[in-house]
Amino acid sequence: MKRRMICVVLVALLCVGVISATALAGVDWKQLQGTEIRFLMNKHPFTTYIEPKVPEFERMTGIKVTIEAFPEDQYRNKRTIELNAGGKVDGYMIMPGQDDLHYWKAGWLQPMDAYIADPTLTEADWNIKDFFTSFTKASSVDGKQIGIVINAETSLLSYRKDLFKTFKVKAPETMKELEQVAKSFYGKEVDGKKMVGITLRGKGAAATSQWVDFLYSFGGSWTDAQGKSNLASPKTIAAFRFYGDLLRNYGPQGGTMLHWAESTSMFMEGKAAMIYDANVFKALYENPKESKVAGKVGYATIPAGPAGRVPHVSNWSLSIGKTSTPERQKAAWLFIQWATNRSNCLGALLAGVPAGRASAWNSKEYKSKDDHPDWTANTMKSFEIGQPQWNPPVLNVPEIRDITGQVIVDAIEGKDVTASAKKAAELMDKKMER
Amino acid sequence: MLNRRDLSVSVLRTDPAQPYQDSNNVMKTAPRALSRFIDRRQAFVYPAPAVTALFLIVVIPIAYNLYLTFTKWTIGLGQPRFIGFDNFIELLSDERVLNGVKVMVYFSGLSLSLELALGLLIALYFNREFKGSEIVQAIYIFPFAATPVAVALIWRIMLNPEIGVLNYILQSVGLPSSLWVSSPKTVIPALVMVDVWKWTPMITLIVLAGLKSLPHDPYEAARIDGANALQIFWYITLPLIRPVLIAALMLRSLDNLKEFDMIYTITQGGPGISSETLYLYSYNVGFSFFKAGYGSALMVVVFLIVLVFNVVMNRLRLSAQDL
Repeated sequence: MKRRMICVVLVALLCVGVISATALAGVDWKQLQGTEIRFLMNKHPFTTYIEPKVPEFERMTGIKVTIEAFPEDQYRNKRTIELNAGGKVDGYMIMPGQDDLHYWKAGWLQPMDAYIADPTLTEADWNIKDFFTSFTKASSVDGKQIGIVINAETSLLSYRKDLFKTFKVKAPETMKELEQVAKSFYGKEVDGKKMVGITLRGKGAAATSQWVDFLYSFGGSWTDAQGKSNLASPKTIAAFRFYGDLLRNYGPQGGTMLHWAESTSMFMEGKAAMIYDANVFKALYENPKESKVAGKVGYATIPAGPAGRVPHVSNWSLSIGKTSTPERQKAAWLFIQWATNRSNCLGALLAGVPAGRASAWNSKEYKSKDDHPDWTANTMKSFEIGQPQWNPPVLNVPEIRDITGQVIVDAIEGKDVTASAKKAAELMDKKMER
Repeated sequence: MLNRRDLSVSVLRTDPAQPYQDSNNVMKTAPRALSRFIDRRQAFVYPAPAVTALFLIVVIPIAYNLYLTFTKWTIGLGQPRFIGFDNFIELLSDERVLNGVKVMVYFSGLSLSLELALGLLIALYFNREFKGSEIVQAIYIFPFAATPVAVALIWRIMLNPEIGVLNYILQSVGLPSSLWVSSPKTVIPALVMVDVWKWTPMITLIVLAGLKSLPHDPYEAARIDGANALQIFWYITLPLIRPVLIAALMLRSLDNLKEFDMIYTITQGGPGISSETLYLYSYNVGFSFFKAGYGSALMVVVFLIVLVFNVVMNRLRLSAQDL
């Protein structure tokens, strides 16, 4: 009898709790019924995941959502041109590390802090603290939240664990070991193919996004405390030199023309023992239809340099357009909140889009389906220690990346790195816009 | 514009003092006035739609481009700011402009001369009667008929030093492999190879048409006088065909000097800036760095180079015709 009483009381309490929680949370999802919003998106796996679910959001809120998606290069141009022309863009996808300063200065980004703090607009359960701090930091400018991460990336060292086992080599822990391991594999014949030790991106501006991890791990930086170019500092030069030497001495021929497509195909052809590139390329390496190394790949975080292990993290976020009306901005926030809620982040992760939410990665659903726990563990580790500033902290990112890329090219070609870095630093100081 | 007489006519006809005129007549007179108006000003009215369209899509953008050359403007960051000739002054000390001009001269010089020489030789060969010549000619124009970007993408894979088929072929016949477009030393010759492969057929077609239209008499006269094949080519064919050759060169140079799709697809100007023509650099400045002012100034320079080259070539062509 007593036990039954306790049960009843407990159930009653639970009901009260649930009801009051909903009442307190009090987001009226129908509050903006009838509003129409337009989102510009990159044709990205996240877009592929979320697009078919949009009707669900429209039924829940009565908000009409139009999504227009374009291939990446075209998308970047279109977004800039449309925002510049003041078109009706209520929300859009952005890579904050690439464009946030430019877009912030141009006045195209609406801060979200007020919406996040408002309990009538944001569910308590949505909880921004559930996102990895490195990514919430990456999607903010001047302390203002300007985006919510939908695709979280970092870079990993991927290696042929089968060959490492055969030749009794351990995954490199330091930069010195990385060089030794690369050297030990260079020129070895495996399955009738001559191996290279490592493959990396070497194509000028395209290489800076991976080189930056070496920059930070060697203790270098884009700019110094005064905000001047730091490309010619000894630590930065050391990073240029190490990266260039590694690729020239132990990498494929023609290193200066390697973009990610060329570099990953070298690795997938089984011609390289290691590759350092984006973690998301696991999907390529492990696809048995396209890759000869599927099932033979091990994953590690970047080896430690003089300044430790400092990988970068980068992400795609959803942002709200500043030129839109307050009502449509609120509707856009509801959409972003819904698209990044727990179930959508988990759903996206299960569909292969790395989420920015820790709870998704830690969930039973994900863990039970995970075929590569070493990839997951190292990815999460990188997310925690990652540095969000993967691009030069300037407005004209592409131009400064281009200038930096020249030094990488010179380093790979074995030219005088110091002279080249000095020239680039001068040019960067001249061209930098902040 | 309606003139007063036209107006007075239509007013008269719609005068309510003339009750026998129904509203249908009013409907009829207006078009009549309009047609009379058009008849009188045919020279302006008929080309007007075309002129308007041309003005909107050609004249305005060019004028706007010229205006931008005198401004500093990063798209998205404020409005264009007038800075006078600063862009052109910056351009003079920009290493990449000099590099761009060098690459342009190297690439265009080599590819145009090879295309012209090969195009002429092959046209001479095709100009004879031989069995299956039509089929051979049809196959021969394939490269020129194919979509440039698609072809360039295939070349890009073939030229890859590690996984490309060209090195595989070289090695299988015992030759040393090449870095092709991956080395600053060989990138331009490799790109020239692709350009020659693609565009020589076009020169051949033009020259062949020219050869077919040459008169027969000088050849007969030369043969009677005992001239050999080489002498006939040098003293008769070449002078006669010169205007056609120059026309072909002009047509080809217009595209070649601003070659973009092929280079952009295969190398994007790399390694480093070894194959970055001035045209490619101005594209990068405008659409990668979003610096509209400086990019426009660079485009004006490219435009001037192409213009000067073509004016010179046109002079040559006219003087060749006078011969």
